[in-house]
Amino acid sequence: MASSSSSGLTFKLHPLVIVNISDHYTRVKSQTNPPPLTSTSATVNGVEHQQQAPRVYGCVIGVQRGRTVEIFNNFELLYDPSTHSLDRPFLEKKQELYKKVFPHFYILGWYSTGSDAQESDMHIHKALMDINESPLYVLLNPTINPAQKDLPVTIYESELHVIDGIPQLIFVRSSYTIETVEAERISVDHVAHLKPSDGGSAATQLAAHLTGIHSAIKMLNSRIRVLHHYLVGMQKGDIPCENSLLRQVSSLLRRLPAIESEKFQDDFLMEYNDTLLITYLAMFTNCSSTMNELVDKFNTAYDRHSRRGGRTAFI
Amino acid sequence: MDSSIAQKTWELENNILTVETPDPSSDSIFYYDEAAQAKFQQEKPWANDHHYFKRVKISALALLKMVVHARSGGTIEVMGLMQGKTDGDAIIVMDAFALPVEGTETRVNAQADAYEYMVDYSQTNKQAGRLENVVGWYHSHPGYGCWLSGIDVSTQMLNQQFQEPFLAVVIDPTRTVSAGKVEIGAFRTYPEGYKPTDDPISEYQTIPLNKIEDFGVHCKQYYPLDITYFKSSLDCHLLDLLWNKYWVNTLSSSPLLGNGDYVAGQISDLAEKLEQAENQLAHSRIGPLGPPRKKEESQLAKITRDSAKITVEQVHGLMSQVIKDILFNSVRQSNRSHNEQSGPEPMVEA
Repeated sequence: MASSSSSGLTFKLHPLVIVNISDHYTRVKSQTNPPPLTSTSATVNGVEHQQQAPRVYGCVIGVQRGRTVEIFNNFELLYDPSTHSLDRPFLEKKQELYKKVFPHFYILGWYSTGSDAQESDMHIHKALMDINESPLYVLLNPTINPAQKDLPVTIYESELHVIDGIPQLIFVRSSYTIETVEAERISVDHVAHLKPSDGGSAATQLAAHLTGIHSAIKMLNSRIRVLHHYLVGMQKGDIPCENSLLRQVSSLLRRLPAIESEKFQDDFLMEYNDTLLITYLAMFTNCSSTMNELVDKFNTAYDRHSRRGGRTAFI
Repeated sequence: MDSSIAQKTWELENNILTVETPDPSSDSIFYYDEAAQAKFQQEKPWANDHHYFKRVKISALALLKMVVHARSGGTIEVMGLMQGKTDGDAIIVMDAFALPVEGTETRVNAQADAYEYMVDYSQTNKQAGRLENVVGWYHSHPGYGCWLSGIDVSTQMLNQQFQEPFLAVVIDPTRTVSAGKVEIGAFRTYPEGYKPTDDPISEYQTIPLNKIEDFGVHCKQYYPLDITYFKSSLDCHLLDLLWNKYWVNTLSSSPLLGNGDYVAGQISDLAEKLEQAENQLAHSRIGPLGPPRKKEESQLAKITRDSAKITVEQVHGLMSQVIKDILFNSVRQSNRSHNEQSGPEPMVEA
């Protein structure tokens, strides 16, 4: 069922969709398994029997521009697994509502939770085919596996394959990238790491900002190390040489330095100078404000002694 | 004997584990207890104490949706509703949805247009399994801070009369992007005529000149609530994994490029305030000013703070750029001969 897709579409997924699906699942799970009213921490914890966590279903919406499909948002669907019926009027109602607020988005496919795509999923898939000729199927695996390194989200497309002489639709996996806008990234960061939300002193803000960049660079470093290790192994002969990989690495290296032109240097220095100028002005403002206060205090302190004389008021 | 020791060890280990990763049973916050909520509605403990609700808990999903919606509006104010429940003196926001109205500050009750939408949406949501009720509304103030304007205050007062419990949330997406942290505020108004006994110290934020009057007139009529965030265990797990793909975006973000207009606007606003301050200072020259007004900072001190804030944000942005330059561009240094080293010292990797 899962070979790699050949449709050539690139998929971009927004983190909002992932959090949304997870929230939907958690909600349904807590409603069907109400938590114990008295929370005795020592007993309940690790021993959660594998209660049949219900599957949740919903629609994903977004935009398709040329060969790029960008998934922005999603909403719930009503589906009865026993009768395999999709609640049509509900879907249409929801679609209408979402169209009003996000007029550019349209239905790209549907989502569900579970560990693997199943045969019954094809029914929903076919049902959605009249809205979108080639819908997507986003699958989220809600089991928390601490050893897992990769996002448990897979995107499937449907393709017509001939199996045993009968043309059938089967699911094929596609790869995707995570796409985000700046505001989304900041709020995800905020919730993920619970950074200090109040102003704090300038020092804590600086620390927070630099820590973020530092962790990102650490990731970059570790990934590069892995590559390096791999290449060294190849050189020594421990690992068989793989030419396609070598080509990719070589093209990656050739992209450095990222930009080298004179114009970039000039613009970069100009931006640098602008920032320095702003800092200078801020310092200036700070100094004049302090000076002003000093003069005020001075006047208040010394005016008492010399009532006459040049320092009296003139308006 | 053995098995009990093993069990105890295992329980101990599990306890340790559950402290580190959020316990699945802590997801109980997601459970909607209809009976308890109805009872709370009837008791109305907020009717007597105007300062009853003190805290707000916002879910990760709600925050994400609100910020993305606010940002998508660009410079236009947008608004939406929040769904959730109450828990003692805290209001819990589980989800949020956008309303198809373009908020303008002149509309007193923009929600009148959106009632049909709201009813439809709530109905479909209840069918889909989200049982919470609407507990508040949110809107955006792109670029001018998180506070309630005159219209907002009157809207909220109306809401608090008829739709209790109700909360007002304001998000500033422009400042969020510029500062790199979420600018959000939650407020509840006092009823007409009620004067708060103590003056709550609210965090200072800079307000542009054209809005500062509106802010000043109404700022005593409402009070801010503390905001905390929560997420489910699955959310935690997913967000952790998301970081594996996300670090690229963090490194590649360029706040300087995205917010050039906003910074320019801030600077020009600051210049106007400076002129005002100059006039004020010229008139209040000499002479003992009477008892020193410790509480009110002078205009100039406020301006200094604002300028410091703008500078800090700008410097942070520049730091990111410089780091990226060092990381990805410093290869050229080895190619260049030593005579040519003309770049400023901090950028060059020795």
